[in-house]
Amino acid sequence: MTILSICAHGFIYGPILVVLIYNLFNHEFARKHFFWFAGTGAVWQILAAIGGFTALNQNGQTSYAFGAFWDIRLAGAAFFELNATRFLLLLIVGLVALISVLVAHQTVDFNRSSYTNLLMILVLGMNGMLLVTDLFSLYVFLEVTGLCCFIMIAMFRSRADLEGSFKYLILSELSGIFILTAIAFLMMKTGSLRYADLAGLGQRISAGSGQLEDLLVYAALILLISGFAIKTGVVPFHSWLPDAYQSADTAVSILLSGAVNKVAGVYGLMIVMQLFGDVAPVGPSLAAVGIISIIIGALLAVRQPQYKRVVAYSSVSQMGYILLALSTGTTLGLVAALAHILSHTAFKSTLFTNAAALQEQTGTLELKDLGGLENQMPVTAFTSIIAFLSTAGIPPTAGFWSKILIILALWQAGSPVLAGVALVAGILSSAYLIRLQRTVFFGQTRPELAKVREVRGSVLTAEVLLTVITLGLGLLYPYILLLLHAGGIL
Amino acid sequence: MNLVIVLLIIGLLMIVAGCWCLMRTFHLLKMTIGIEVAMKAVTLFLVLAGRISGKIALSETFVITVMVAEVIVAVVGTGTAVGLFRKYGSMDVRNLKQLKG
Repeated sequence: MTILSICAHGFIYGPILVVLIYNLFNHEFARKHFFWFAGTGAVWQILAAIGGFTALNQNGQTSYAFGAFWDIRLAGAAFFELNATRFLLLLIVGLVALISVLVAHQTVDFNRSSYTNLLMILVLGMNGMLLVTDLFSLYVFLEVTGLCCFIMIAMFRSRADLEGSFKYLILSELSGIFILTAIAFLMMKTGSLRYADLAGLGQRISAGSGQLEDLLVYAALILLISGFAIKTGVVPFHSWLPDAYQSADTAVSILLSGAVNKVAGVYGLMIVMQLFGDVAPVGPSLAAVGIISIIIGALLAVRQPQYKRVVAYSSVSQMGYILLALSTGTTLGLVAALAHILSHTAFKSTLFTNAAALQEQTGTLELKDLGGLENQMPVTAFTSIIAFLSTAGIPPTAGFWSKILIILALWQAGSPVLAGVALVAGILSSAYLIRLQRTVFFGQTRPELAKVREVRGSVLTAEVLLTVITLGLGLLYPYILLLLHAGGIL
Repeated sequence: MNLVIVLLIIGLLMIVAGCWCLMRTFHLLKMTIGIEVAMKAVTLFLVLAGRISGKIALSETFVITVMVAEVIVAVVGTGTAVGLFRKYGSMDVRNLKQLKG
């Protein structure tokens, strides 16, 4: 047993073990101490991701294949695989789970046991999506992830919760139908769904041949892109996203925006781009969805009446940037997309954690009831400013560097127009963020909010931790750029 | 017209029927049924894929897994619909107006 194999198996067995051990205790004990169990699961995920990546680098390998409890050398055996991209996304899953647990410690009260169990199964589902090497297993784990999300949104059984959950369920299942139909069509052509067998399909299909199977492959690509775009929540498939984010408890919103729509949506599109990037229409269609999403998402965010809805539409807009970076199909594009995923996780989780702080201290998130909280909640106001700067792409935050990388990737791939639009659209994102910051934190303190105090405990810890990550990454980025330059990518 | 084309057309018609059901009905359970009808069409496509590519055993395992997944989705969807019925006293989807921006 090497460190690498322990870490690799830990991604699968860790969450399962936490669920099994957690349910051995009686309900009252479990409810009281949920923080330690869920926290252990999340911290284990972070440690396994960092340790595994270090071990992989020391061995000098680029990827590591393993089976959960079977021998992968058997003929036709399915296997899991780890590489640098997947390690980064696994780290993000662990980080988001930890932040969510820290927030849930204060916001979730009666549903703590269900929260812990569902969180661990959700982490297992996302780990599964990231580890598998064939499209059908990807679909199965996508379904596991989706189901946990539906239940977690509806967990508190208020009218808004159930409504948000039902809308998400219908659209998410529609995306499941799209993806599965695409899988069936691809199987008609290739007879296998492994990534290794599907790669290079572009050479095997001929556009004008009119063969039924080639036509079906094109249909499959359209369906795959729309399916994963629904899961990502980009325009024009975004209608479920603000409703789900607004209605869910903030601890769950953090999970949805930080991890689920990146792993279930963007990672799926990454796989599509990796397998079918050589088929002509895939890249441009991703770019089109991305650019529409950036502009419409930002415009819609300007006029939302509720804090979490503004942040949700901002998520739509930022996902557009990631798709734009992916659409280039180059290594630099992939690196830029991953960098923006990381910085988006940090700043968007900060904004949602601030939403939890505001909700806990003032009892409302309607923008018309908030105002002038700068002096009462100095830490929340400061972390929120840092997150805004990062969203708008202003140095020295992490968001600046990842947006620079995206623009460089677009420029290098020969589409300066898209790079220009991405640059100008940054102004739009400052517009809604300045509005949000001004209404909530600046200006005259409203008399009914005079007794509000700064949030304490785990939510404050989460805010500070995320801000340190945003600023730290921002200061560290020149070093990462040097590494990229040394690797010949930049 | 051979069998493959006929089955493809039947499957597409079932998906259209499911989506039509989603768009035209305002009943929560009927919407869940619409999703299920479309999902059944997809299992038909998987069987067809096994027949065309000659890997019938593989496609059978896929179909069984998909059946399990869709039943769980139907259960969760119905559960949410029942929860909404308890809040509103009706299954009409037009009641859902809490979330707006």
